[in-house]
Amino acid sequence: MLSLYLYTSMAFWTVAYLLVCALPAAVCLLLPVSRSRTAFRHLILWYGNIIVRIAVWPWIRVTYDSTAPSDESDVGIYVFNHRSASDPFLIAVLGLPMLQLVNGWPMRLPLFGFFARRCGYIDTTKNNYEESRAKIAAALMVHAPVASFPEGTRSGSRNLNQFRSGIFKIAMELRAPIHPCCIIGNEYIPDRRFRFKAGRIRVRRMPAIAAEEAAAFGNAYLLKQHVKTLIQAEITKLEEP
Amino acid sequence: MLPEDIIAAVNAVFVEQFEIDPADLQPEKEIFRDLGLDSLDIVDMMVGLQRTFGISLRQNEELRQIVTLGDLHAFFLKLVEENPDLAAKLQKK
Repeated sequence: MLSLYLYTSMAFWTVAYLLVCALPAAVCLLLPVSRSRTAFRHLILWYGNIIVRIAVWPWIRVTYDSTAPSDESDVGIYVFNHRSASDPFLIAVLGLPMLQLVNGWPMRLPLFGFFARRCGYIDTTKNNYEESRAKIAAALMVHAPVASFPEGTRSGSRNLNQFRSGIFKIAMELRAPIHPCCIIGNEYIPDRRFRFKAGRIRVRRMPAIAAEEAAAFGNAYLLKQHVKTLIQAEITKLEEP
Repeated sequence: MLPEDIIAAVNAVFVEQFEIDPADLQPEKEIFRDLGLDSLDIVDMMVGLQRTFGISLRQNEELRQIVTLGDLHAFFLKLVEENPDLAAKLQKK
């Protein structure tokens, strides 16, 4: 019953949002490509916040906090753990118009795929390594934050799966700061069969790893292990009873 | 060194680096489409293969033609055949 209610609520708010932003979206399509993508990412950011803060409330409550210094730059590559299909929506609570790295299937979703393409999301199954890196570099040049889920796929549990090294190699090559973030409480929101449970989700942004600090690790493997350790430690702290 | 050992060594990289079920590592599977890897995963795949076989694959243009796991097996079978010292290194591991 809860799943039915929540899907209905999300559908309602999605339609309402589409009606409200139809005209702005049409205007965005007329802008130059780079500005259009930035504008669409803002539209997606607001949509994400409507879904996670209004459409699913009060059965699902999302709180966000940051342990990063308040004057820390927002530019860089954000790295999230990945428990559930709700993660790409939840990152909206950071309040940043992120460019997401996706692994193919989100780009093919009806409606969402359209917006993902308009936002300039990077499909890592269609772009080779050099192309993905070039697109990330272009985004960082215009101060667009980049969001990545280095586990590659949803864990569907509290486990933190192995991180893939690719995004860390790119971060080192581009000398981009890495912002570790963690999302907890949503392992069954929704579960792997897209059924919802009520619950509380927490999203936390942690202090960034500056480019110089990342470079000191020498290779992407060691850097990714370090970031994974940081995220795991934060998750453990947040999940302490 | 038997061809099966070389194939097992290649497959072990996919199991260790990407936690892929060994039963899914069939030669006809496409690395990107069927095994679920993306372009960023190439980093881990290359690192794993380089470590396993003790060679640098960085400038190897033949790797760009590889589509299926079977293509990758064939690449390393040929590589080991042409470089007998590689087989010796693998046997030591």
